[in-house]
Amino acid sequence: MNNSDPLLRLLIDFFNLPPDTGSQEIRQQAIASWDSLAMVQLIADLQGTFSVEFDLAEIEKLRSYDEIYRALSSKGVSFPSPTVSRPQRTVRDERDYSE
Amino acid sequence: MNLIGHWIRNFPEPQKVAITEAFDSASLAKIRRAARLLEKLDPEQRGSMLDVEFVSTFNLEPVLPVLQLALDCLPSRAHLHLAPLDAIESHISQSETTPLQETLHARVVAWRVEELFPELLYPFSSGFPKQLASRADEVVARIGRVVNLHQKNSKGVPLFLSTIPLPTNFSNPLFAAQDRDGLFGSVGRLNQEVYELATRNDGVHVLDLAAWATSEGRGHTDATLDLIARQPLSSRGQVAISLFIARCLRPLIIPGRKALAVDLDNTLWGGVVGEDGIGGLKLGHEFPGNVHLRIQRELLELRKRGILLVLLSKNNETDAREAFSELSEMVVKWDDFAVRQVNWEQKHENLRSAARELGLGLDSFAFVDDSDYEREQMRQFLPEVLILNENSDPLHTLRSLWETDAFDSLTVTEEDRLRHRDYTARAARDVEAHQDDLDAFLRSLRMEATIEEIGPSNMDRALAMIGKTNQFNLTTRRHSRSQLQTMLEMPGSIALTLRLRDKFGDQGIVGLLLAIPDKRNHVTLAVDSFLVSCRALGRGVEDALWAVMVNRAHRQKVKRLEAEYLATPKNGMVASLYDRLGLRRIEQNSSSTRYHMEPVGPYPFPTWISLANKSDEQ
Repeated sequence: MNNSDPLLRLLIDFFNLPPDTGSQEIRQQAIASWDSLAMVQLIADLQGTFSVEFDLAEIEKLRSYDEIYRALSSKGVSFPSPTVSRPQRTVRDERDYSE
Repeated sequence: MNLIGHWIRNFPEPQKVAITEAFDSASLAKIRRAARLLEKLDPEQRGSMLDVEFVSTFNLEPVLPVLQLALDCLPSRAHLHLAPLDAIESHISQSETTPLQETLHARVVAWRVEELFPELLYPFSSGFPKQLASRADEVVARIGRVVNLHQKNSKGVPLFLSTIPLPTNFSNPLFAAQDRDGLFGSVGRLNQEVYELATRNDGVHVLDLAAWATSEGRGHTDATLDLIARQPLSSRGQVAISLFIARCLRPLIIPGRKALAVDLDNTLWGGVVGEDGIGGLKLGHEFPGNVHLRIQRELLELRKRGILLVLLSKNNETDAREAFSELSEMVVKWDDFAVRQVNWEQKHENLRSAARELGLGLDSFAFVDDSDYEREQMRQFLPEVLILNENSDPLHTLRSLWETDAFDSLTVTEEDRLRHRDYTARAARDVEAHQDDLDAFLRSLRMEATIEEIGPSNMDRALAMIGKTNQFNLTTRRHSRSQLQTMLEMPGSIALTLRLRDKFGDQGIVGLLLAIPDKRNHVTLAVDSFLVSCRALGRGVEDALWAVMVNRAHRQKVKRLEAEYLATPKNGMVASLYDRLGLRRIEQNSSSTRYHMEPVGPYPFPTWISLANKSDEQ
């Protein structure tokens, strides 16, 4: 699990997913327990954890890690994400560095 | 978190850490994680069963995991049942036929303006003031009907009726306060009805969500979630309401502390009497003396409602007595303490001896002391004692007394209020006991027993005894109101209480015996519960109750009486009671002993107690 990514950690804990689940795998279509009840609970958790309030348009789009990440970023919440803010590049950069 | 710190104190460390993190963060992921960890504990570590049904006009389903964890922390093995949304009357009407009724410990009805009386949010569109006022009459009547329905269909199940919080999302708040029939006035009227219903009806309690919401402030709500799912609480609000509900339900399964041991110097007054002299002590209406005065007011209030006060002070007794008699501002008097230990012994030893003198277990005590050393020593030597304050600041001590749930109870009975007098009389009796041999002493008390059937008039006291008695309790079965009711209704059951009067006065109901017929064979009667209050121990009350029960069983043509002793860490004092009463052992293992006897009448009634209702003597 990427310990520096609080959103990924929250979603893995929230849906009780395997710790090595990648952020790209976190989508409503791929997670059976992501129903409308879970959606309400998730919004409460996200708003509480990141001290934000989503607007109507955002709520309708919170269907995957990426979409949640974008909604949080647009509200000024920032943390490093391997897949959204710098997709792929972070991984490649690290490899270059180690070589 | 302070509130639940002592609820979960016996949980293992990983569980404690997870629970603390869960409630501090209000994150559902962490709440689920803590719940999973709790499931790994043994049932004994998790506390007793608690079945609660929630009936509400708003959507509690998303909050259930939080409520579950809060109730698990009591500790209890809680089972939560959620009625269909907004179907209060129809759900309660059907409840008589559901099997849940047998085990249900409580029903919670929670409602709010948005569904119960939405017109109040739009007064001018809803015929303010006249039509709105008559609508308020209808809602008041509806609240009363819900209580009636509950009592008709769920007899004996405690009902927790919520008050109605002021809504947070509405317009024109200034006007809402200007008229009796406006939003605020009308909500006040509905809530007044809730308080009335709780006052008039046994077993109806108030879950004061209105008071709770006021103290939480606006942060407990989330308008977005309310609009999406009719779930009005923010994640923090969900935690807060769950802990609040848990606190309200806790007295159903966990008895409050019965006694508070307090220190003198820097607690009851500011300063140290032995060093500063009486003239140097701070107590009065000005700061900081007013803090100590308020502490004393809290202590006196506790004592008046039945919590025993014990004085534990390292002082010369003459100095302490002198301060009590000379300080005119003292609210708590010397005689308000059921036991006074003013000496230079260790406080934990003094508390242990006070517990012996009062016949209470150590886990019946809470403790307040300004000294870090004394608190730490108490924590180490007597971990059962609950320490209310955490530092030496008197203001903090006062806050601890305001905020503690250690003495929580839903009702205060006449017995509770007279307890101090009973225990003081008991201390006097103990002194006399040294002077004569025991038999003559018992006779000199001029004891008179009144045997009564368990029924509406003594049900609360019977349930309180069943819920609280630890020492003289042969089986320690904690029955709910509905379980007890079911047993009382079995044909042939014998359910008795014993009220004791002596030369010191009316001691109230101090004994209980419950025997129920065997389902398979109606000539066998099994003793389900047999208990005597700790304030009547050593007085042969049990012999009187037993005699009355055996004689009744004989008259009912019972052929065989069965009884058992179920050992707990606290009831060793009655391990051989049935041997002494002449029953024969039929089975024994490390935790229980089973007995039987044939009821032959007339069974002799003890010679040192007289019986008020003579027909039971034969």
